[in-house]
Amino acid sequence: MFSQPTTLEEALDVRARCGPDLLPIAGGTDIVVAMNRGQLRPAGFLDLTHVRGLDAVRHENGRYECGGAATHATLSRLPVEALAEAALSVGGPAIRNRGTIGGNLVTASPAGDGCVALLALDADVELAHASRGRRVVPLREYFLGYRKTALLADELITRVRFPKDWITAWYKIGKRGSVNISVVCCAIGRSPTGLFHIALGSVAATPIRAPHAEEIVNRDGLTDGAIAEAADAVRRDISPIDDHRASAKYRAAMSVTLVARLLRRIRDRVKEPAR
Amino acid sequence: MTPEADEMVAVELAINGKPTHLVVRPDETLLFVLRDSIGLTGTKGACLEGECGSCTLLLNGAPVNSCLVLAAQVHGGRVETIEGLAHGDKLHVLQRKFIESGAAQCGYCTPGLIMAAKALLDETPNPDEETFFRGMEGNICRCTGYTSICEAIRGAAREWSR
Amino acid sequence: MTQNIQTIDVPIAEPFAEPLVPPSQTPYVERPHGPVGRSEDRIDGPEKVLGTALYGADLFYGRADCFVSVVRSEPAHAEIVAVDPSAALKMPGVLGVYTHRDVRGTNRQGLIVRDHPVLAESRVLFRGDAIAVVVATSERTAEDARRAVRVDYRPLPVVADMDAALAPDAPRLHPDGNIMGGKRIRKGDADAALAAADVIVSESFCTQTVDHAFLDLEAGIAHYDGRTLTIHVSGQWVHEERRLIALALGLPLESVRIICPATGGAFGGREDISIQIYLGIAAIQHPGKTVALRYSREESMRARHKRHAMRIYYTVGATRDGLLTAAKITVFSDEGAYRSTGPAVCRKAASHATGPYRIPNVSVDVYGVFTNNNPTGAMRGFGACQMAIAYEGMMDRLAARLGIDRLEVRRRNLIRSGDAVTTGQRIPIATAVECLDAAVRRLRQCPPPRPTDPHKSRTRPPALPPHLRRGVGYSVICFGLGYGDGFPDASRARVGVSDQGRIQVFTGGVEYGQGLITMAAQVAAEELGVSVRETDVVWADTEQTFESGSSSATRQTYFTGNAIRLAASELKEQLLDIASKLLGVHPHELELRDGCVVGRFDPARSVPLAEVVAQGRARGYSLEATALFKPRTVCEDFDTGQSPRAFITYLFGSHIAEVLVDIETGEVRVDRYIACHDVGRAINPQSVAGQMAGGATQGIGMALMEEVVNRDGRIANPNFTDYILPTFRDIPPVECVILENDDPGGPFGARGIGEPPLIAATPAVLSAIADAIGVHTHTTPCTPQRVWELLHPDEAAVPPDARFSLAPPHARLER
Ligand SMILES: Cc1cc2nc3c(=O)[nH]c(=O)nc-3n(C[C@H](O)[C@H](O)[C@H](O)COP(=O)(O)OP(=O)(O)OC[C@H]3O[C@@H](n4cnc5c(N)ncnc54)[C@H](O)[C@@H]3O)c2cc1C
Repeated sequence: MFSQPTTLEEALDVRARCGPDLLPIAGGTDIVVAMNRGQLRPAGFLDLTHVRGLDAVRHENGRYECGGAATHATLSRLPVEALAEAALSVGGPAIRNRGTIGGNLVTASPAGDGCVALLALDADVELAHASRGRRVVPLREYFLGYRKTALLADELITRVRFPKDWITAWYKIGKRGSVNISVVCCAIGRSPTGLFHIALGSVAATPIRAPHAEEIVNRDGLTDGAIAEAADAVRRDISPIDDHRASAKYRAAMSVTLVARLLRRIRDRVKEPAR
Repeated sequence: MTPEADEMVAVELAINGKPTHLVVRPDETLLFVLRDSIGLTGTKGACLEGECGSCTLLLNGAPVNSCLVLAAQVHGGRVETIEGLAHGDKLHVLQRKFIESGAAQCGYCTPGLIMAAKALLDETPNPDEETFFRGMEGNICRCTGYTSICEAIRGAAREWSR
Repeated sequence: MTQNIQTIDVPIAEPFAEPLVPPSQTPYVERPHGPVGRSEDRIDGPEKVLGTALYGADLFYGRADCFVSVVRSEPAHAEIVAVDPSAALKMPGVLGVYTHRDVRGTNRQGLIVRDHPVLAESRVLFRGDAIAVVVATSERTAEDARRAVRVDYRPLPVVADMDAALAPDAPRLHPDGNIMGGKRIRKGDADAALAAADVIVSESFCTQTVDHAFLDLEAGIAHYDGRTLTIHVSGQWVHEERRLIALALGLPLESVRIICPATGGAFGGREDISIQIYLGIAAIQHPGKTVALRYSREESMRARHKRHAMRIYYTVGATRDGLLTAAKITVFSDEGAYRSTGPAVCRKAASHATGPYRIPNVSVDVYGVFTNNNPTGAMRGFGACQMAIAYEGMMDRLAARLGIDRLEVRRRNLIRSGDAVTTGQRIPIATAVECLDAAVRRLRQCPPPRPTDPHKSRTRPPALPPHLRRGVGYSVICFGLGYGDGFPDASRARVGVSDQGRIQVFTGGVEYGQGLITMAAQVAAEELGVSVRETDVVWADTEQTFESGSSSATRQTYFTGNAIRLAASELKEQLLDIASKLLGVHPHELELRDGCVVGRFDPARSVPLAEVVAQGRARGYSLEATALFKPRTVCEDFDTGQSPRAFITYLFGSHIAEVLVDIETGEVRVDRYIACHDVGRAINPQSVAGQMAGGATQGIGMALMEEVVNRDGRIANPNFTDYILPTFRDIPPVECVILENDDPGGPFGARGIGEPPLIAATPAVLSAIADAIGVHTHTTPCTPQRVWELLHPDEAAVPPDARFSLAPPHARLER
């Protein structure tokens, strides 16, 4: 069965009534891959691609508010460097035209690049239910475990909010020039108040923040010493594994390298004299 | 609103400008329907996970991987495939340049490449290198290598911007 | 057939000795006037850009009546206790489930040795071995039924790698044990020469398992009308497929017809039989129905043979001046579960073990080792490309050890015309040095503008950021063309004229993108003085064409090009004979030009070809001719590996790669790429450049990213998400330099080009990485992690010593 609502109300309504029986589908870039591999055979679909406005990005009070079905292509055009670059690093143009931020957050792969960039922006995600209404969850509390999130089976992701004018930086290590699943990726956002938000992908069961590393730069600023110390401290924030994509040792070393590299990059941007 | 699980879905769409009515299973991909239900086999499948771009076609003017789009999602949409590019005997400039540059060897990635290139040049007739790569990076060629393909697209771009 | 060939004593030639035949004076063959030598458009170009070319899976629409699915082994090594299809058979739409009991013939396949059951009988040897074939009314039902077929296994210990296979208590995978066989070369006295050498350098190389990853997945249809089984599936050698299918399924040869549809790449991956035989089983069971089968990417990767992963222990001795005096080489090659073309790959690895270098004392031992991984077989550059990684790696090491320039060490040791390669075969026209020099000249020139951005300046930024390092790498390779080694190798062609006066060429060779049919048309058109537009090519249909051998081993231009040329010149004799009668001119004084027969000395006397054809028909001329090209090679001696003519001819090439390496992350970007090959004569230069660029791309992929990860007999990455291929951003424009030194035996002097570009590419990239980071590479692919590990050996996931686990005593010699 196939439901193709055109309004959000209708979509939430179907979602509330049919719950897990109708799998929400947006770009299908995760779901249909699994279907084509024979790993998933959904009984029916709730198509979100025709819901008016769900793919839009709005801008108010210094924050962006993007719809749950905003595509990577749309995000890649925003002047928020880490998010735009993360979105640009997803697949090729055909994937970016279809794949959505909502799908990325629901799949919640440890390698989800959108998730990592949004963590570094300390984003909020809005989860909505037809009758219970909307709840806003800070993204750092949203990832519960390996591909487990705070989203309930009768809710949809309707919005993601994040700040507009933070200084951010992004780096993803892959094995080729484009269309990479990250081996390790890192995003860092610096709020106007000077607080750092360091996020990493592919180094734990979920996309993560790195509180130990953050604490050091939040305390000491971006001196050479603090950067080195923070980068080293990231080892305490991560729990990488060995798999066919990379070894845990390499992932750990790259977490250190990338945190240092991006902190230096942010320092250059801030033009804050090293203390 | 909870009919049978495998109920068929009616889809209205335009394929290469032609209004088309299809009845599809909800879980059938656009690629499958085009190729196996209506015989438009010019669009190819190769990895079936969006990695190679062989199945690229244009949906409402933008390139998509038809192996990952459900046919039912395309209701109301405009689909352009390789079959719609030439006008009778007259090849599209990209098709002509692909032949002239020797950019189609085994030819399997060619339809997808041409559609991706069309989307790129439709939007940016004279792309710089970064734009070029952004437009083409989702398409893999295993056989010809990329040199002659880049030349073909650049050659087409020269005519395009004229 | 093992002959005792006297070992040819090869004296150490002086470096820079004058070549016997200076390349500029290589035997002048003939100057073509017509299409040969021109970049004619591909004759299959229009259908490919229009999307109308029909590949295997395109044949389903409007034709397929029922669908086939293959039940495959889940365990990598097990006894089959029982196969129970009852649940599957009960499913609506299921027409049948067939096991080896339903196969009427030998139920065996395999290109060199038929050791692989088509459908497993009592044991499965890899995770992917076929067990049963399901036929159903829809593809989805066939798929569901496949899952419903119950197979009970008794698990056997999995031999996951060569270390396990060679362990004393390893389970025997084949009756003769786990060593499939091998190949040996003994020339001079390597041990003595090593003992006397001024320096000894040794290394252990690990190359990876590679997948062909052609985009056009195995797919096709078949039909059996009670007499003839017709199969439309892409392969590389339709006539051999016919033989194998007839034998395996118990049909007379004449009852099997193979027609090759448009084919999206092969690279050796279609040499072994694939879905043809399962389609055959299904079609025979359902006469009158058209049965269809296609693989998913995962099934394709699970079912198909792969490129051999090799462990190569390489030791060389040299003088202080960098002259090689000895090489001792031991190779273990992961053969996987069955032989496939493994024996040929081992032999090729041995005969190419020292590449284009002149080494008087050589000892080579190559062993194929059975494991429970996928069978390994032919892939572009088979065996030779792994060895090129090793010998080029050794040249860099030797240069570094002696403090001599890398190019200089190569030049001092490269064979010159008249020198012999390791098998003792003298090479009359050896242009290795010329290739290297031409590539280096190109490097010194400013690179041409990139087509991706003609406006962008290509001048280099003066300084790189501290974490980036630039490196340049070189390779020089040689490649023996054809099967060689005494193996029967022949091509037949037929050339005729249609009633409409069009030239028709018939070849059994497969066009899979390499340009065979355009070459065929050019050669015939050249010989007959017409244009390519007036020439049609019928190819790879066992009913309409004679056998032309496989499209592999870089052999089709040489072999089929020659056969077509011979047939066309036979036909030409007839045409001139007819015209002679019409014009009253002696046939020797006539020539074919621009669609007419013209008097050589009196161009006014001329008659259009169409009229000649009409007259010929009326006078009972056959107006067609068939020719066989079958040159001989001589089997390498069993004990010494020596042969005066192991290969029909040799090809040379040299590549240069420039890379940027991020030494903090290990990421590598290839920044500039130059490929130079001597192709004898480029029948179609654009097509040659296409093979160079395509081959280089695959070689760069092998150097940097491609790897089938086998874990306990299971492929961990059976899809393009994790088996990654180079993208647009990974490959700079490939700058092609084509050298032409006519081959006396080739059609219009042509040799070939298919495989060498891949062989040369991988070592060039590895050499560039080593140059950038100051550490030699030894394991492919050089992923970011591996590059980083070279710089941080203590943190390597696989301890650096692990690659010495099979090491023979010579493997650690250093002096
Ligand atoms: C070739 C390729 C390359 C890729 N590269 C990358 C990459 O580099 N980095 C990366 O992070 N990802 C990558 N991806 C993965 C993928 O593109 C992203 O995860 C994408 O963002 C998923 O979005 P979608 O709309 O396609 O999700 P879908 O596949 O449509 O859905 C995914 C999941 O989200 C649910 N869902 C979707 N939207 C909502 C919503 N609004 N509310 C509730 N549930 C919802 C669905 O039910 C489903 O469970 C790649 C995928 C492909 C095929």
